[in-house]
Amino acid sequence: MTFDSNNFKGLSLSQDPQWQPPQEGGRRSWRNKMSKIVNDFTINIATANGTGSQSANLILLQTLFDMGIPVSGKNLFPSNISGLPTWYIVRLSDKGYQAPGDRTHIQILVNPATWEDDLASLEPGTVVIWNTDSKMEMNREDVVSYPVPMTKIARGLNPKLARMIANVVYVGVLAELLGMDQEVLEESIAKQFGGKAKAIELNAEAARLGRSYCAEELTKQDDYFVEARDIEEGGFFIEGNEAIALGSIFGGIQMLGWYPITPSSSVCEGIISWLPKLRTHEGKATYAIIQAEDELAAAGMIIGAGWAGARGLTATSGPGISLMQEFIGLAYFAEVPCVFWDINRVGPSTGLPTRTQQGDLAMLYESSHGDTKHIVFMPGTVEECFEFGWKVFDASEKFQTPVFGFSDLDLGMNKWACRGFEYPDEPMDRGKLVLTQEQMDSIENYGRYRDVDGDGIPYRTLPGSGLDPILYRGTGHDEDGTYSEKPEVYYKLMQRLGRKIDGARDYLPAPIIKEDEKQEIGVIFYGSMENSIKEIEDIVEEMTGKFISTCRVRALPLHSEVEAFIEKHETVIVAEINRDAQLYGIMRKEYPVHLLNKLLSVAYSDGMPPRGRLYAERIVQALEEAKI
Amino acid sequence: MRERRAKVVKLNVINEPKDSYTGGKSSLCPGCGHDQISNVIVSAAWDNGILPHKIAKMSGIGCSSKTPAYYLGQSHGFNTVHGRMPSVTTGANVVNKDLTYLGVSGDGDSASIGIGQLIHAIRRNVDMVYIVENNGVYGLTKGQYSATADVGSKKKKGPINETQPIDLCAMAINLGCSFVARSFSGSKKQLTALLKAAMSHKGFALIDVISPCVTFNNNDESLRSYGYVKDNQAELHSVGFIPHFSPLEQVEVPAGSYRDVALHDGSTMRLETISEDHDISDAVQALSALHKADADKKHVTGILYFDGEKPSLDVDLDLHDTPLVEMGEDLLRPSAEKLEEVIASMRG
Repeated sequence: MTFDSNNFKGLSLSQDPQWQPPQEGGRRSWRNKMSKIVNDFTINIATANGTGSQSANLILLQTLFDMGIPVSGKNLFPSNISGLPTWYIVRLSDKGYQAPGDRTHIQILVNPATWEDDLASLEPGTVVIWNTDSKMEMNREDVVSYPVPMTKIARGLNPKLARMIANVVYVGVLAELLGMDQEVLEESIAKQFGGKAKAIELNAEAARLGRSYCAEELTKQDDYFVEARDIEEGGFFIEGNEAIALGSIFGGIQMLGWYPITPSSSVCEGIISWLPKLRTHEGKATYAIIQAEDELAAAGMIIGAGWAGARGLTATSGPGISLMQEFIGLAYFAEVPCVFWDINRVGPSTGLPTRTQQGDLAMLYESSHGDTKHIVFMPGTVEECFEFGWKVFDASEKFQTPVFGFSDLDLGMNKWACRGFEYPDEPMDRGKLVLTQEQMDSIENYGRYRDVDGDGIPYRTLPGSGLDPILYRGTGHDEDGTYSEKPEVYYKLMQRLGRKIDGARDYLPAPIIKEDEKQEIGVIFYGSMENSIKEIEDIVEEMTGKFISTCRVRALPLHSEVEAFIEKHETVIVAEINRDAQLYGIMRKEYPVHLLNKLLSVAYSDGMPPRGRLYAERIVQALEEAKI
Repeated sequence: MRERRAKVVKLNVINEPKDSYTGGKSSLCPGCGHDQISNVIVSAAWDNGILPHKIAKMSGIGCSSKTPAYYLGQSHGFNTVHGRMPSVTTGANVVNKDLTYLGVSGDGDSASIGIGQLIHAIRRNVDMVYIVENNGVYGLTKGQYSATADVGSKKKKGPINETQPIDLCAMAINLGCSFVARSFSGSKKQLTALLKAAMSHKGFALIDVISPCVTFNNNDESLRSYGYVKDNQAELHSVGFIPHFSPLEQVEVPAGSYRDVALHDGSTMRLETISEDHDISDAVQALSALHKADADKKHVTGILYFDGEKPSLDVDLDLHDTPLVEMGEDLLRPSAEKLEEVIASMRG
């Protein structure tokens, strides 16, 4: 039940250079030098699910962001509606590090349920702001203690809502302690409670009370401060899932069939909330949304939509993809466009439903029985969530095949700083659609499954058009779509399908490559690890004195530039968030032996977003073992 | 072919010969009830004067689900996966509501693996015809009992079935299905009228057709053999169909009592009383007829329940009149200005 959020297993924690052994004469005297630590620390907030702490935490995050401070927030929440422990980790980093840090510098203790464990796991010298009304003991002498009667303060303001408001009180305390701008804080509160005047005033007052309590009753004994930075114009916070939702809408989604599952539901709910604002015509819907009875039906619906000629999408997570396998094979074999987003959570089975992983990649690539291979888009940023949100439809219709978008809980459900979205720079690609008799006449020797152009992609007609009707089927079929079990027909069909998907490689988003001149060590990674890679690079450099090149893979099948990257470098590490080295496995299957000899794997997964030091140390260890 | 037979070829109301509605050669066992249903589909679609390419043939997996290859060769179709045809049809239906969706399934497909999807398609009132070609056994896998096999019935090989069957009509009535009928593949006239009415209905129309399996379940001890059903069919009424293009006033009025039921496309279903009057708007009466027949080991046929007012899924979704598949980028991709507005709202 308890989650050791402060002392992540597998980490070798570096000692805090600021820490001095406690000296006689009480807690205050443990510090004997003052050196400001500005915008480079981690705040861990331990609360209970369903107590309104999420609002308070988002207010804190927004305030820091609006002060121009590079900041990231991670919500570690349970699979529960109310009552179970939740941690929110806010990391401030002028270097722009977005992964959870190595340790907690400031701990907010509100939740009695995890109090003892949270407290015990703190390193000496950690700042602890704790609620004196939670009837729990503060039994650490070696931390910087700030007792605050949060509930009492909140109760004075509004007895009924005290539990909720108490959370904003600690935001106020933090604001005072760290030097946050009051005006920005109040603007953030207004943003959070958009337009609800009463809530805004109540929460603003709670923050002010927290602030003044801190100013009047507490003496600052720590070195942590925030300083405003130049604000990047036009930035805002958004979750990856909402960015996918918007991307889908600008990609012309026509049919959403879905079944709720964490952590993907917010993709669909985003689509549902934005569609009426963006996609009505003469007051009527230009889209259809159906909440299906299960994931199988959701898959069936979008395949039906794709068969009829529309852009259908579903979003789910690993368990849903498992259920959809049979349908995915049908869409692959019958060549029906449809889009599946997998927001990866921790498997196998129900796994850790509210934690993150890159554990579904191999499953997506070869989904369903028999020989299959699928196109997978792998965004690493919220900007790419939007971009790939529309691009997946084009790819799916161009190649007449199911296309996957692959994200995870970390990217999908946390709020990330976003610069903005670029409007699609190319018109919708509906693929090789034959819509008129004239078009049909211009195609020599048309057959629904005939490779007329030599690219493996056939032409297709739509139901209702009256043009070359066929009975689509999941059974073996010849080039005209007629049932066939002939060996040469099946062989030829499977070869063409293989060639078709293979031909997508260099059409798909190229990897993002940052090359070091020496081309000694390369790191290949993908997806949400984008948010940890900078820190990983810096720590590897710090540990080995070597710079690394990086290559962020953005789609499957692998782009030819990925192969070229491996070719150029002496040693290449494939870093990923899973146990079985899934991308590494795909490479081992597809790449020539001389490249495989250069490849090393660092695969690790414990449910947490990737911490920089953990991966850096494992990369260094892998290099040492390979004697590089 | 049309020219050669020009003198004898009859055309329907849209000047199409019946040949425009036929399909490929059946590969089912000779005498299979399913082939008779395929013939009825051809006749009904032709009689109703529906453009063949405006029909979509949908099916799952099984003997029955193979049949779309044997009718309506000018229609697009989708032979999907086992039991999951309803969801595919649902998705297609909402993006192109202008087609007539004709689903064909079997008792294995519908009463076992696909029962959930059938239930939810009924619940949503998807605008489609759903024919269950119901023979009580799995044919393609060589004769295992299905979930509709009657208690006390015995197939050609194996023990007497002791497991309670699922009555798909009773289930559908309880779910509020807007059109529920039962028929027999041997009752061509009744089945044709019911199918025409189902195609004229807007909403989910279930027709459970007892369709004997000549290979595995046509023996004397079977309650679904040709002989048994023929002798033990209890018709609720005599079903007639008057298409929207035939003026009702020119149709001869029956001698006995009858009910006329107005259908969505302007056609009329004429139900002539045989012995007792059956009120098709009364779900309790419909269920009672089913239970009574069940107790007597009879098969009740005719239209059991009908509700022409229940909105279908496409109506519920408040879709634009233009089918979604006919919309272009101008309607499907919001403008760059809209994106700027979205981003501005995020910036707050």
